[in-house]
Amino acid sequence: MLTVKNLTKSYEAAHGTVHALSNVNFSVQTGQFASIIGKSGSGKSTLLSLLGALDTPTEGEILVDDADIAKLSGAKQTTYRAHKIGFVFQQYNLIPNLSAIENVMLALEFGGMKSGSKRHKRAQELLLGVGLSDDEQLRKPARLSGGQQQRVSIARALANRPAIILADEPTGNLDSETGKKIFKLLHDLTRKENTTIIAVTHDLDIAGKTDRTFLLKDGTLTLQ
Amino acid sequence: MNVITRGMRGALRSPVRSGAIIAMLAISIGLILAMLVARASVNAKISEVKATTATALTINPAGIQGGMGGGDPLTADQVKTIRNTAHISSVSAILTDQLGTTDTNLTPSFELGSFGKRMMRFDSGSSTGPSTNISGNADGNTEAKTPPAPRTSVTGTTNPSSITPSDKLTSGAMIDGNSSDKVALIGKSLADKNSLSVGSTFTAYGQTITVKGIFSVDNAFENNGIIVPLATLQTLTAQPGAVTNIAATVDSSDNVSSTVASLKKSLGDKADVTSQEEEAASSLAPLESIAGLALAGVIGASIAGATIVLLAMIMVVRERRREIGVIKAIGGSNAKVISQFMTEGMTLTVIGGIIGIVLGIAVSGPMTQSLVSSSKDGAPTNGQQGGPTSGSNKPAVFLRSARTQLTTNVNNVTSTLTPQTVVISIGIVALIAIIGSAVPAWAIARVRPAEVLRTE
Ligand SMILES: Nc1ncnc2c1ncn2[C@@H]1O[C@H](COP(=O)(O)OP(=O)(O)O)[C@@H](O)[C@H]1O
Ligand SMILES: [Mg+2]
Repeated sequence: MLTVKNLTKSYEAAHGTVHALSNVNFSVQTGQFASIIGKSGSGKSTLLSLLGALDTPTEGEILVDDADIAKLSGAKQTTYRAHKIGFVFQQYNLIPNLSAIENVMLALEFGGMKSGSKRHKRAQELLLGVGLSDDEQLRKPARLSGGQQQRVSIARALANRPAIILADEPTGNLDSETGKKIFKLLHDLTRKENTTIIAVTHDLDIAGKTDRTFLLKDGTLTLQ
Repeated sequence: MNVITRGMRGALRSPVRSGAIIAMLAISIGLILAMLVARASVNAKISEVKATTATALTINPAGIQGGMGGGDPLTADQVKTIRNTAHISSVSAILTDQLGTTDTNLTPSFELGSFGKRMMRFDSGSSTGPSTNISGNADGNTEAKTPPAPRTSVTGTTNPSSITPSDKLTSGAMIDGNSSDKVALIGKSLADKNSLSVGSTFTAYGQTITVKGIFSVDNAFENNGIIVPLATLQTLTAQPGAVTNIAATVDSSDNVSSTVASLKKSLGDKADVTSQEEEAASSLAPLESIAGLALAGVIGASIAGATIVLLAMIMVVRERRREIGVIKAIGGSNAKVISQFMTEGMTLTVIGGIIGIVLGIAVSGPMTQSLVSSSKDGAPTNGQQGGPTSGSNKPAVFLRSARTQLTTNVNNVTSTLTPQTVVISIGIVALIAIIGSAVPAWAIARVRPAEVLRTE
């Protein structure tokens, strides 16, 4: 269960204060797939960065299983990100000099899996689960297609069995065919593990198929 | 794979750039080592020269320079005063004399020549001339009748090996300078001329003297000389306690001027005290400036090395901001990211350091030599200090040979590459890596993970 209360985020920019989020309230049940739509600059990425403890809110609460993650210290934020959250980015953001399997193993290392051989085995399973062959698993990101890279990134996000997956326009760089496949993959995998997903998307088709859809407009959130 | 292996792989990610950084580092580290070696060798030589030459004192009786001039030799009391002066660590006393043809059965190994004739022009009539032999022994009449011949120098010394080092002995053994036995070391030319070998005897001052050793030096004058214990010559010439030259050593170069002052005070105008301190200081000046230069080089090259690592790491961190943000976003701690990037910096530094140290070892010898020889002209090297000299040139020879020895020492700076020097340069390399990585580490800690959500 994820509950957001009175969430506000403002940035101090050169030309004054930017109110990226104003008084946002919503909640998502465990295992639900929620989508967020909204124009560019409406505050979607800002919301995800707060939910994922990449940044701290100006005001408000973010309750994940009744713990307020808005008030975590730096070290606890890191642990929270490693264990509770899986991120999927529009630009995949894989580490370029690590192979696909090493990228997944890196997340497992941060998740606290000590044994290298266990990490290797788990990463292999995860990558097979998202459809990467043994050969493709050994390639560096530059030698994989966009769709393949996003699959690796999903495997990485799922690595530590997080409570919440946060996806910021995960299909934004993919053609619509591949985008639909990626969304289906996210959907199927998380259903199996009962993971909550909050995904930002431009694709209203996709948004229509999720459990709930929120609209962000100038930092204000409404349920569709 | 852990932080360390990731860091090492990261360091070699872009071979051309890493290669360039490593090459620059290797050059500055090589320079650091070479400069350290140069400095150590030069400093070692400076203290060696200071310990030997700069602490040497010469004390001559007033008016006497070897066998020339007039006045009285130093007395036993004066020698005792010198020995008891504070900071005097060793004293070797010399009495010089000459043997004319009536004093000995030996034939000199060289001819009188025009120089010898000129030196002897006063001797025919007077027995009290300035360069007269032993007053008690001279017999004007007999001397006047003998055909003129060059004299043979006799040196009585408490320390024969300071005059003729034992490696100059071609046969026989050293004599004891503190005995009063009738024994002698004789020069090779003199021995050959008179068919003498170890165990042979000859006559001088009416006494029989046994040859204990034969020495050979590259000096015809000295090879015609005789060395006997000081007390022996004092007895033979009836001059108990008399000394015509003292070579004294001061315990430390810091005490030379005060010791000279107190000697001048206690001996008054009876003796001339000369130190080679100033001469040593001026000979050492170029070496000291090289040592200073080398230190500046070490500091400069260290700063250059640290700057190279610093700039390289800042470049790397700037370029890979997003990667740093991603690692943080997926749960990597600041400590992990920093260790990874520090390992990258260390890897470059260590590789550069290994190549640099090999480079430094290779160039340090020639570099030290060229630094030193460009500051001093290659001087002819006659390392013979002193010699069985007598006659007219004793102090001059002594000073000249001391100076040539100094020049030799100064030029013979052997590059001393000690394990200590290598350890110091490894320490500097580690310091460079730490300094060079500290600032980027600070920059890494400030990367906000939220930046990875931004799409440019
Ligand atoms: N670090 C920041 N500093 C200043 N302003 C920011 C920063 N991040 C985002 N913003 C501003 O906040 C608003 C919301 O941005 P964002 O959350 O990225 O929107 P979206 O993801 O919906 O396009 C925008 O006006 C953006 O310019
Ligand atoms: Mg965005």
